[in-house]
Amino acid sequence: MLLAYRCAFASKRVAATAIEANEFPQLAQELGVWAVPRIVIDGEPRWDGAVPEPEFLRRILATA
Amino acid sequence: MREWFAALERPVELLVAVGPEQTPPAGARDVDFGAEMVKVCEGLAELGDGVTWRVEDEPDGFPRFPAVSIRPDGRDAGVRYDGLPWGYELGSLVGAILEAGRAEPSLRSESLAELEMLDRDLVLDVFVTPT
Repeated sequence: MLLAYRCAFASKRVAATAIEANEFPQLAQELGVWAVPRIVIDGEPRWDGAVPEPEFLRRILATA
Repeated sequence: MREWFAALERPVELLVAVGPEQTPPAGARDVDFGAEMVKVCEGLAELGDGVTWRVEDEPDGFPRFPAVSIRPDGRDAGVRYDGLPWGYELGSLVGAILEAGRAEPSLRSESLAELEMLDRDLVLDVFVTPT
């Protein structure tokens, strides 16, 4: 989660929100959240699990 | 945690957004999530002068309640936590406060250079659970 937050604090083009899956079960179900952390970019589920910073950047920028 | 908050390089505001909540998860029917969120943020603010909080009822830009916006110098940086940060997830909120309180980003210089090249907005949502 912190990597997403760090990106948002570092760039005005990035927004980052942690969403507590148990509290918003309908949204979690719509996005097929079965494992956490699940990373969703611009409303599209992308991957599950933590990755190192360089890989995180590579993956989010690949969607841009 | 008091030491961490004392080391903040700029003030951090927690804007707590309360409003209509979704059906609570099984076993949590007696929990007022909005009230608990206020307690959490109030408690965190008591740990350091650099952390303040305020609450608003259904402010613009918040699709879910409760939520908290973590704001360096009171500025909306696009960083939120939606839902109550239970258990281990309190660490995410504390981590966000510490990041917001940094004068300089903590990402690697290579990462900052890559972010500089972004030419459109990105919305990152990270689903988490408290355990």
